[in-house]
Amino acid sequence: MSKEAQLSIAERDFILEALRENVRLDGRQPDDYRPLDLSFGEEYGHVKLQLGKTNIIVRISAEVTKPREDRPFDGLFNINLELSAMGSPAWENGRTNDIEAYATNILDRIIRHSNALDTESLCILKGVSCWSIRADVHIIDYDGNITDAACIAIMAGLQHFRRPDAVVKDGRVIVYGVEQRVPVALNITHKPLSVTFHTFNDSKHVIVDATLKEEQAAEGDIVIGINSVGDVCYLSKYAGSPADAMAIVNKTNVAWEKVKEINVAVEKVLQADLAKRAKIGMADESRAENDRLVQTE
Amino acid sequence: MSAPLVLLPSDEVPQDHLPTNNSNPLRLGPGLRILSQPSSKGSNHVLTATQAGLLTTDAKRNTVSLLSFPNRRYIPTVNDFVIAQIHHSSVDFFHCMVTPHTAHALLGQLSFEGASKKTRPMLKQGELVYARVQSVGVGAGAEVELTCVNPATGKADGGLGPLTGGMVFDVSTGLVVLSELGKKLESLGGFEIAVGRNGKVWVDCSNAAESAVKVTIAIGRCLQETDQQNLHTHDQKKLVMKILRDMKLVS
Repeated sequence: MSKEAQLSIAERDFILEALRENVRLDGRQPDDYRPLDLSFGEEYGHVKLQLGKTNIIVRISAEVTKPREDRPFDGLFNINLELSAMGSPAWENGRTNDIEAYATNILDRIIRHSNALDTESLCILKGVSCWSIRADVHIIDYDGNITDAACIAIMAGLQHFRRPDAVVKDGRVIVYGVEQRVPVALNITHKPLSVTFHTFNDSKHVIVDATLKEEQAAEGDIVIGINSVGDVCYLSKYAGSPADAMAIVNKTNVAWEKVKEINVAVEKVLQADLAKRAKIGMADESRAENDRLVQTE
Repeated sequence: MSAPLVLLPSDEVPQDHLPTNNSNPLRLGPGLRILSQPSSKGSNHVLTATQAGLLTTDAKRNTVSLLSFPNRRYIPTVNDFVIAQIHHSSVDFFHCMVTPHTAHALLGQLSFEGASKKTRPMLKQGELVYARVQSVGVGAGAEVELTCVNPATGKADGGLGPLTGGMVFDVSTGLVVLSELGKKLESLGGFEIAVGRNGKVWVDCSNAAESAVKVTIAIGRCLQETDQQNLHTHDQKKLVMKILRDMKLVS
């Protein structure tokens, strides 16, 4: 059972009929996202994101490795998305399915290939050692639109993550622990996000952030990757029926607005979290007599 | 009535909680299983719970049932009403999905009201039926059987049969809340509703003419939000008003 259960005829007809009257199942407007709830865990780079009922956890981690032979100046960055049986009964552990390949591809193209994380800054010593950054995406609950949710969560995680400081001394690499030196933020060049649209009724109706039921009733999808400045770094229309060219142009503008909004919201949560950490973190940790565990809160 | 009693799976139902009225046979609700029947005058029913829940008894009708808690997994129990989706049909049966990703349940081609070889409904893949669980079988791999008629009368009691039009909303299983909406929406033509124990509610408002879609969505949103937020009566009334205003159905 690797397929999501099909929608009944009544449900499909109803969703299409409702869209003809410009109503969505949860009362949203066509260009509205579901409520976005973002929070950070105790450690750097641990993001919990909830988009409606879609629930995602992203964990960013770093380790020192050898760079690739052909790119001695570049660090490594990988996105690892796994769909486990936790997210949906249709998914099996350890078996890849279409959505996984599809979502991984989009995330790779939007975040990795647009160089959102500057991999050159991850180099420690040319050809010898570099940082390997890894983003693990776990889907906890699935109600449609995992690409957008995962994209927001990964970008938030990369901005939140701090890697240990490393220096080169006499040709040797020294990595300082988090207690010894203040950990370093990653170098983010720009903040691209994906915005997924689904088309209905011969692309007369185009909606953003579809739920699972809407996704199943849709005839096609358009994914736009765009950053806050308005650079489109990814555009795809993989399958389904043809979409209107004007719709794509119009929706790119919508996507830009959405990305700006979401980036502002993420920035707000990020700053609040960092401010909280600064208050409790360094003052306590740096005291000499304090070798006990640092109490949070 | 004694204090509320919460049972966990495998807990035995205490004797003093069973109804003592012996004129009718004891009737069991979902989540309970009978281990032994009274053989002689002195002995009693031995019942155990198969789900966690609150024990409720009705002395007049001589029933014992377990009020289970919201749950995302439905386990078929005899006599439950469910909303099933046709997956495919074979010579004698429609194979239906009661919950996604579980074994299909069987619905006889002839178990509809007034159905004969010639008049049986031709249901296509993806159509919905409102059906009653007839038998669940014993042991692993047993097939669940559904029916759309009452075998005693041959009638479709309680609106059983194919559901056409309308929309299905998913809620937690065990949730059966509906109030207030009926009154408010009467002027718009009212609505039809079928509640399945498998966590599905079917709503149709084709009487409401042009606002049919909006009314259906309003009802669906009310149900889902009530379910998600576990609202009480007072909050439910407020929610109904909020959503109806939001959908511009009442001023």
